[in-house]
Amino acid sequence: MNAGRIVIWGTPSQRKGCRPASQSFDEPVLVIPLNIITQDANAHTQMAVSMPVLHIASQSFWVERMNQYVHRMSPSHLRLGVPVLAASLALVACGGNADTEGEPESGGTLTYLEHQPYDTLYPPAAGFYPNGAVINNIADRLLWQDPETLELHPWIATDLPEVNDDATEFTFTIRDDVTYSDGTELTAENVVKNFDLYGQGDSDRTLSVSEAINNYDYGEVIDETTVRFHFTEPAPGFAQAASTINSGLLSDETLDHTQEDFGPGNATTIIGSGPFVVAEEELGTEYTLEAREDYDWAPEEHDHQGPAQIDAVQVIVTPEDSVRIGSLVSGQADVARQIEAQDEEQLENSGASIEAYGTKSVNNGFNFRIGHPILEDLETRQAIIHAVDREAVLENLFTDSYPLATSPLASDALGYSDQSEHYEYDPDRAIELLEEAGWEEGPDGIRERDGERLQLTVNEAHPQPRSAELVTVVAQQLREVGIELELLSGDRAQQNEEAQDPELVQIFHSMVGRADYDVIKSQYHSENRNVLLNGYDEDVTDPELESLLEDIASLPNEADRVVASEQAQQYLAENAYVLPFFEEPQVYGVQPHVLGFETESVARPSFYGVSLDD
Amino acid sequence: MWSYVLRRLGQALLVLLVAFTATFFLLHYLPGDAVIARYGSPQLGLSSAEVAEIRASMGADQPVWTQFWLALTGFLTGNLGYSAQTGASVSSMLTTALPETAALTLTSFLLAVVLAFTIAFTSTFGRFAWLRRVMRALPPLFISIPVFWLAIVLIQIFSFQLGLVPVIGASDLQALVLPSLAISVPIAAPLAQILVSSIDEVRSQPFVSVVRAKGASTNWLLWRNVLGNALLPALTIAGLLFGELIAGAVVTETIFGRSGIGRMTEQAVANRDMPVLQAIVVLSAATFVLINLIVDLLYPVLDPRLRKKVRV
Repeated sequence: MNAGRIVIWGTPSQRKGCRPASQSFDEPVLVIPLNIITQDANAHTQMAVSMPVLHIASQSFWVERMNQYVHRMSPSHLRLGVPVLAASLALVACGGNADTEGEPESGGTLTYLEHQPYDTLYPPAAGFYPNGAVINNIADRLLWQDPETLELHPWIATDLPEVNDDATEFTFTIRDDVTYSDGTELTAENVVKNFDLYGQGDSDRTLSVSEAINNYDYGEVIDETTVRFHFTEPAPGFAQAASTINSGLLSDETLDHTQEDFGPGNATTIIGSGPFVVAEEELGTEYTLEAREDYDWAPEEHDHQGPAQIDAVQVIVTPEDSVRIGSLVSGQADVARQIEAQDEEQLENSGASIEAYGTKSVNNGFNFRIGHPILEDLETRQAIIHAVDREAVLENLFTDSYPLATSPLASDALGYSDQSEHYEYDPDRAIELLEEAGWEEGPDGIRERDGERLQLTVNEAHPQPRSAELVTVVAQQLREVGIELELLSGDRAQQNEEAQDPELVQIFHSMVGRADYDVIKSQYHSENRNVLLNGYDEDVTDPELESLLEDIASLPNEADRVVASEQAQQYLAENAYVLPFFEEPQVYGVQPHVLGFETESVARPSFYGVSLDD
Repeated sequence: MWSYVLRRLGQALLVLLVAFTATFFLLHYLPGDAVIARYGSPQLGLSSAEVAEIRASMGADQPVWTQFWLALTGFLTGNLGYSAQTGASVSSMLTTALPETAALTLTSFLLAVVLAFTIAFTSTFGRFAWLRRVMRALPPLFISIPVFWLAIVLIQIFSFQLGLVPVIGASDLQALVLPSLAISVPIAAPLAQILVSSIDEVRSQPFVSVVRAKGASTNWLLWRNVLGNALLPALTIAGLLFGELIAGAVVTETIFGRSGIGRMTEQAVANRDMPVLQAIVVLSAATFVLINLIVDLLYPVLDPRLRKKVRV
């Protein structure tokens, strides 16, 4: 509380309407110097005059009470009452609804609620959504992937790359007018330096290789505006990789950062050429993205050009779900990420819109550890799939934002092919299959074979929505046919560790987001995520799957990759290796006055096109 | 006196060493570690070979005794290490977080004391019998209110419904109001309970009747005779309540999205961030020991009868 003044704070959305947008965030909306009130004989009138202002910004009940109070007071009362009054006024003024805002303005500050703080801003590790929210807005990429069509378009590169016949050399021509926010130029040398780090990693600094970049050899500066990247094996996914946030371009100085320098607390030192710059950061709780006035190199295909339309984005971490939802409902925030399915209705009733963006990748689903003795045989795996009523699961736990999966890949992913015939709910067929496989009903209803119980454990996918609830519902359904499904307990570290051991976890619940054909290889190949644990015991259990997946990531021709991807999906479905549940979205709650909110191809937020309307 | 203080400080060092060692080995033998928590995350897509390489480069694959020795000597020389989750130096994390939590816990504690005294006085010297009864029923009610629930209810009512205090974009002062209220309620309860029962006890002693027979007013009796005697047990409890304060900070800082030691703890536990957890445990143990030392030193100040014992 400022001594000598009555200070009235407002919420950010309120302030937007009450003040020039350039004012800093911590400034009060309305400051009444106390000397006017206490020394002026007409003190009542002074206060009374200011009341209509308050009336707009607060709830009328309280203002009414304040008015009565002020009118009853004599000047001496007022002097005594000032501290109390000031305190209560400050509180009273903090309410308010979004619809009480003033005239529309360009600019303004968007308040964005994030679920967790970011943990690193090293682009190859920016897949974690809180990290992506920073990188996607401060770093440009060579290419821009249209989030709707998934087509690639020029951005920092002036054209799509020239690729040699076997996709081992990519040549890009880059713009010569781009600068980083510290004033340094974005040059060909700098682009090569970026990809050399992301493609090779640096084990001395524990900076990892980007998952999106396969078989990277080295980069080469051809001339001032031309760079060429060389690969040891065909890498047809590289063009798309160059458009992901994992390939966000950073200044030379930033690329020399250590792991620690990329960590929390250093966001303002991460220099990109993007439309926003991290201006302020409060460790672990909030940071501010400020628009760059001189930004003039948006992708040509983007609707908006020039600098961003809003002045700043205030990103605030609100880990507690009810607080995030409540803040949005009460108008204290403009956009919130991670709206849980069970909260959607409440938000919609409040007038905010629910925007679900598909992640256009490998679906949320169960992956069977195909080397495990129980899951080795096809019949058992098929039985599990036919015993699960996926529509009931979705109806119980999720909303329309979560479309039913029809293949291991999402229907809007590149290379998708419909496999829904393999995922039909048919409990009778499931029981038949189990009996064919030799599973006989045991004394407690759970089936047994040669003294072994049909018991399986699934991990809790902490980053995925309602994973534990989903497992519980599925476990009930499986019990109907005599299969026991257990949920692995333990925190994230324990789950990550034990999920690698098929003796502890036989079914792995997960998904992965990246809008390229390669994504299916990322998920299933034994040298990548290997969610099926294909080859955990030295020998690869299923070499055929491996070679199908390798084709997707190495065939230089796009049409061939489409065919390979279809084959791989069909193979996964026919062999009952995976049980996909839904096409996992990122769900955002957006206030109606926020226009142009959009996401990149796998649903990380983009603030570039946002404007605020009142 | 000084030898007493020195002896207590010696004991404190031993407590810290034990706390440090116990934390280290407990965390070490839990399945999984900070490396797997961070790099094993499916969102990064690193293979297990790559994770093993990272573990080696961070020295996390060394024998447990080597790691223990390195951590211990690091602590003794003031090097608290680096967060395994973010790479930030633990000492700088602590210096950012400490003032926030200090402000929160201090406000909550003061609020709790005010609340406890109000309850204690009204329930013992209150004018109406019904008021005294209601007040006496409050501590058991308060103590059974979980902090997280209270915090969420307070936010819902005062911020989202009435719009009195913003949660998003609040000033420093505003940001303290609801969280400290939430923490203070369960802290005030045991304090009030002890105060009430010791005030009752003191009041039943013969000297009180004597003072009253000499014509002392209720106020005189309370402030001059009863309170001083009733304070000692409350002081002991107050010292022990520090643990509650820290627990309250973990919950409220997470709910309100405040930065601070509590939030740091929550994150570090979720990520199995050993260096951070070690530092927090040692810091909390040190503060706990210090607060209880101060409480012990205050006894003789409050009660002349205890002064001689301390000198022995």
